Parts: sequence; structure tokens; C-alpha cells
Amino acid sequence: MAHRYFLIISLCGLLAACSADVSEQNNAPYNQSFPSQSGGTFIDAMPSDPSSLIFMVAGESASSAITANIFNTLLRYNKDLDLAGELAQSWQVAADQKTITFHLKPGLVWADGRPLTSEDVYFTWQLIIDEKTRSPYASDFQLVTKAETPDKLTFVVHYDQAFSPALDSWAGLQILPKHKLAGQDIHTTSFTQKPLGSHYYQLKEWRHGEYLKLERNPKAVLGQAQINTLIERIIPDPGAQFLELMADHIDSMNMDPITYARIIPSRPELQARLNQYKALGNSYTYLGFNLKRQPFNDVRIRKAINYAIDKQEIIDGVYLGLGEQIASPYKPGTRWSNPQLKPYAFDPQKARTLLAEAGYKDTDGDGILERDGKKLSFEVLTNHGNKEREKTVVIIQRRLKEVGIDIRIRSIEWASFITRFIKTGDFDAVVLGWQLGLEPDQYGIWHSSQQKPGQFNFIGYNNPKVDKLLEQGRSEFDPDKRMHVYHQFAEALYEDSPIVYLSAGYGLTAIHKRVQGIMNPVPPAGVGYDSQKWYIPLPLRRTQIQAE
Amino acid sequence: MKKILHNPLALTGLLLISIILLLALLAPWLAPYDPDDIHVKQILLAPSMQHWMGTDGLGRDVWSRMLYGGRVSLLVGLVAVGISTAIGVFLGAIAGYYRGWVDTIIMRLVDIMLSIPSFFLILAVIAFLSPSITNVMIVIGLTSWMSVTRLVRAEFLSLTQREFVTASTALGAQDWRVIFKHCLPNSLTPVLVSVVLGIASAVLLESGLSFLGLGVQAPQASWGNILTDGKEYIQFAWWLSLYPGLAILITVLGYNLLGEGLRDVFDPRSHTAR
Repeated sequence: MAHRYFLIISLCGLLAACSADVSEQNNAPYNQSFPSQSGGTFIDAMPSDPSSLIFMVAGESASSAITANIFNTLLRYNKDLDLAGELAQSWQVAADQKTITFHLKPGLVWADGRPLTSEDVYFTWQLIIDEKTRSPYASDFQLVTKAETPDKLTFVVHYDQAFSPALDSWAGLQILPKHKLAGQDIHTTSFTQKPLGSHYYQLKEWRHGEYLKLERNPKAVLGQAQINTLIERIIPDPGAQFLELMADHIDSMNMDPITYARIIPSRPELQARLNQYKALGNSYTYLGFNLKRQPFNDVRIRKAINYAIDKQEIIDGVYLGLGEQIASPYKPGTRWSNPQLKPYAFDPQKARTLLAEAGYKDTDGDGILERDGKKLSFEVLTNHGNKEREKTVVIIQRRLKEVGIDIRIRSIEWASFITRFIKTGDFDAVVLGWQLGLEPDQYGIWHSSQQKPGQFNFIGYNNPKVDKLLEQGRSEFDPDKRMHVYHQFAEALYEDSPIVYLSAGYGLTAIHKRVQGIMNPVPPAGVGYDSQKWYIPLPLRRTQIQAE
Repeated sequence: MKKILHNPLALTGLLLISIILLLALLAPWLAPYDPDDIHVKQILLAPSMQHWMGTDGLGRDVWSRMLYGGRVSLLVGLVAVGISTAIGVFLGAIAGYYRGWVDTIIMRLVDIMLSIPSFFLILAVIAFLSPSITNVMIVIGLTSWMSVTRLVRAEFLSLTQREFVTASTALGAQDWRVIFKHCLPNSLTPVLVSVVLGIASAVLLESGLSFLGLGVQAPQASWGNILTDGKEYIQFAWWLSLYPGLAILITVLGYNLLGEGLRDVFDPRSHTAR
């Protein structure tokens, strides 16, 4: 779904304080390559049960992990992150950029054999903008002033103004069957537990809090997936997930840098069984200032802090090298990230000069700078339990002390962090992260109109030039012109330094070697791209006893 | 004093505590590195000649952090017990001397306090205030005075029946003089034992709180938070968990042995005293 951005609580959790040695159960030739073969079972783990299998209602990653296998969207991103058709064969944006026409592929069917038509698409659009649905993703679709279905294969949407994130929003909307849902209450319908889709898999069994079992949909509109059964086990604790991985009870999990860089390499028996994948994620960690407060309303102070922090030190020390320095709020290497901008260098001398220019001097000789008798001292908040961020703040504290800035660290439990400090704007500085989507629009984070409690511009950033660029970027469809707009936007941010970009982190995944056909190196779309082509060769499958 | 030196329990305890205290006091001279100095190129090094106890997840020298952490742990123990003893002795003395409704109120207060699981009370209070070393000391002190109160009250109940107390009252001594000059000095022996044992439990409490992130805050080291940092790496960096664990063990053991030893020495009915 088009969740363009959300706050990240924690990139990874704690590791369990115990270990279990598993002797090799069989001597399967995991390193041998086999031809693609249909069948088999893939077992994955995720931390929590989905609250609903209608994603527009659930709006959580646990739900999308399941529903992305069951429902199709009109458009999707291909492996290089360009838009491609999924249910749509083609689409056109009108010359005035206010109308988009989608042409569906002919012969689409739901898993129960009923035809999938533009009626279903229209129904899904009406459902998401319905007040009663209360979908967190409704706002993008409310901009559609009129939708039409001239025939069964055509779907047309009109907007008041050109809205370029529109295509991304349609790439996120999972199309639901009208014949199953019409007239039902979306929150209480049994469909949330027994969904019917058109994608590669259909839900076979759901044991709440234990697992969800998906089986191949023989009528899948995009063809047949290779693996027959997907099991998604619910294991809340990452440490327990790792133990299950070591015991060979699951085939895949997401890891933290320590597991990836230290634990697995030190255990040959795990290396023999697991492939590790790393891909730069679309997220970053930052130090953000409350721009409405002294002394952060002075750009020299913000720049001085930026120069005083050694980002590479944080990446090496906290992420064990598994991170990248960034200079714009986009994933490095994508077209939106401005290649002209270089991250602020680590230059304590420059930081001291800037602080002196701003009038700060150490008059009482205690190593901390003052101006008008007031010490340069502030509090940095972060969320308790996120080890990476807690360590990051300690490093920042050390380096800022060296240039004469005193910071106090406070780590607070997530829920009260958000309600007591972020929503009320009662903080000096925070260390947090943004998880971004593929759409470059960051109106919600940076536009000066987005500062109300609960909105995402909680640092209080206000720059008319950036506001204008963000508005421009939203109404521009031409990719090259958009790119230029967002490069200018990143440059304006760079000059203002309202936040210090600390690091863009890697997504780290371990997958059992029995699973073959995984794209390596990982494509820009992520390790899970084209997972319908993954296969498990017969000799490598788990031994299963079946009553036949 | 001679008796203490002849009691093997007390002697062992005294020795252990002396060593730990000495190390903590001399930390600035003994620590080879700045305990807060970060070296990301040297993270998680195993113990070696350069780093006797290895380095932690940020490349800080664990031996230096242990020494400075010891200061924090011991300071919290002493101050917290100081607070709880002062409160406990005062309330116990009043209750035991005046009896009647004063005694009833104070003893019911003790009962109420004892009925609340103290660790959870401390957790709740610290979460409400903000975690800091001062708050930890005060809160531990304010929640652990009850046993001292009971001890002192019991002593006072019997002391006030004794002839010398009656004599001083008969001579017209004021209450405060009887309490502080006559009764209190005679009731301090069991208090001393309880103080020593109290320090042990305060050190343990502080470590527990710091382990949960509610005690001493970064970058300041304490044994509890070194232990928490180590939890993440326990699969391959044993030194981060072993040394702070051992330090807590030795300190608590030391105070407990000393406490037990003192009890044996001072208690005339005890046969283990030699």
C-alpha cells in the first residue's frame, strides 16, 4: 500500500541471550544448484498476527506481508523500481495531467472463477474513500473527483489538479472483489478472516497467534508460483526467531547488524545452511532539532552540530559498517537523491568556528560554551529499547562534548515518546528514523502546513522555498522535471540543515539455502522481488509425513 | 574490633569490601583509559594486555568502566542506606519510646509499606520521575527503611523498661535526651548489622534498575548498565556479562558475609561467635 512514510520504532530487536547448537540433520547438498521445480513449503516468521486481511483497514506491515500474496494492484514497481502494469495492461495520463485511464488485462478472474472487472476497481476506490472505512490511506484517493467505468476493462479517474503521486497510490491499492464485499461492514465482515483474491496464493488456514498458511491459487491471474505452500509463523521475539532459524524450523528472517556481521560468520554450521542478503533500505536515521526553540533557530548552530558529528563513526560503531552516509532524504543511488550533495564532513574545527561566530564562548572554563550566561546544553530523546539509536546518541554526546556542547540523553518508551513529546512538540532534539516509500513526495514531512499535533513536520520546519518546491513536485508528472525539483528541494534542506542525516541502514535477511532462484545481488526492489519464481528442489525439502 | 578480626565470616567480608572500595576510590589513578572514550575501530575486543577486560560495543575499555561503575554502585548503596537508616532509626525510636497511638500509626505505616512489593514500587516511582543517579538513591532510601524501624522500635521497647532509663526520666531528663543519649546508643548494634546487609541489597537494586534502563543513565557507567549492554552480545562477547556480574556478586557477598559476621560477634546468644 502507498504508505509513503511512517516513523520507524525499531529497525531490529534484541537478540535472545541464549543459543542452541543444532547438529546437521542431513547432509543435503545445499550448495548444489538444481533446476526449477514446482512444489514444496516455505516457512517464514513475522512478529505479530495481522489485525485484518483487508490492508486498507489494517494499515500495518503484518497485514501487508500476507495480503501482498493474495490481492493484486493495478500497477506495481518492477525490479528497477519503475512502474509497470499488474492488473492493468496499460495506462494513460491525459495531456492536462488531471485524468488517468487504466486498461485492464482481458480475462482476469478471482480465485472462485468469477470475472475481475473495472467494477471491482471502482468498488475498491469507493470503499477506501468511504468515511466508515476510516482508512489511513484514504487522503490520496479523496483527491479523485470522479471515477468512471466506461466498459468492463476500462477505469478512468479525474483529479481537480495534477497530482503526480497518484500513480504510486494506485500501485498501492489492493483490488477487492465486489461480489464478496458489496453491502458488508468492512470492519466486521468475515472476509477479513477469509479473503478471496486473484494473486498467486490464497489463504488456506489461519491459527491466530500461531501461523497463517497460504496455498497456490490455481486461477492466479499472473500465472503459477513455484512454491506450493507458504507458512507465515507468528514469533514475536527476534531472539526466538533466530533460535527457530538455527533449529531449521523456519526458512527466513530479518536480522540486526550484530547477527548478520558477527554471529552468523562465527558459526560455520549456520553459514553452511543460510544465504545472507543485504540491501540498502529506503529508510534513514536522523538527529532532528526543535526549530521553534533556542538555539536551534540559528542555522549556524545546526551546521556546527552537523560538522561536529562523525557519521562514519556511527555507521562503523553502531551498524558495524552496514549503513551509508546520505546528504538528501532519499535512498542513495535512486534518481531522487541529489548526486551533487556530499554529506557534511566531520570537521570539529569548523564546528568551533561556527559556534564562535554565533557568539558562544567558554567563559568559565568548564569546557561547555555559553552565550549571555546560558550554557549550550540540551536534551536528546530517543525511543527506549532501540539499541542502535541508544548507542548512536552516546556517540553524538561524546563528539558534541568535544566542541563544547553538553547534551543529556533520555530514552523513553515509544508510546509516551510519541504522545508526550512528539505530538506536543515538547522536546529539544530527537534521534528517530523515517521509513520512506518509492514516491519522492515528502509534503507531509517538510511542508510548513503539516505542523499540527499528530502531523509529521513536528520539528517545525518552515521554509517558503521548500514549500513551493514540494507543491511543484506534487503537480509535475514528467520524471526528469520532477527529479530536478526534488534535487533542488534536497539542496535547500542541505543548506538549512534542519536535521542531521546520520545513516541509511541496510535491510538484512537470512534465507535457507534450500530456497533457490533468489535474485542475487538483490535488485533495487528488494530481496523478495519476484518471489513467485523461488523454488525448493525436491532433495532439499524438509521431510514431511503425509497421509496418502 | 578484635572480635571481628577473629570471625572468619566478617573477616572475609571485610576483605572483599575493602578491595572493591579501594578499587573504586582509586579509579581515576587505576583506570588506564577514559571510561567514556569511544573507539569504533576497537569494538568488542576480547580481553588482552591492552584491555584487561576487553572492550564494549562502542570500543570503550571495560576495565576502566568497571572501576568507575563501581564508584556509582557503591555510592548508591551507601547513600540509599544512609537515607533509609536515618528514617528508620528516627521513626523506630519515636514509636518505641512513646508507644500508644504514635506507635500504632508508625507500625501500620510500616505494614502498608511492606505490603507493597518494593521493586515494583521503585520501578513505578522512577518511571514517573526521570531516571537519574540522585533519584535512584533517594527512591531506594525512601522505600527500604521499614526493617530498621522495626529493629529500633523493638530495642526501645525493652530499653525503656530498664532501670537506667527510668533513672534518667526520674532525674527530669527531657524526652530527646533520654532517646538520643541513653536509648539510641544502646540500640545501634542490630542497626549496624542491618545497615551492612542493606547496602548489599541496595547495590543489587541499583544494578537491577540500571539493567532495566531506569537507573544510572548513559554515558555514566554502572555495573548494571554494563551488564545490559553486554546482553546484546552474550553469544560471542562473554566478557561484557561476566565481569560486571562477578563484581556485583563479590560486593553483595562481601557485605552479606560482613553482616552475618557482625551479627555473630555482637549477638551474645549466638554460639557461632568465637
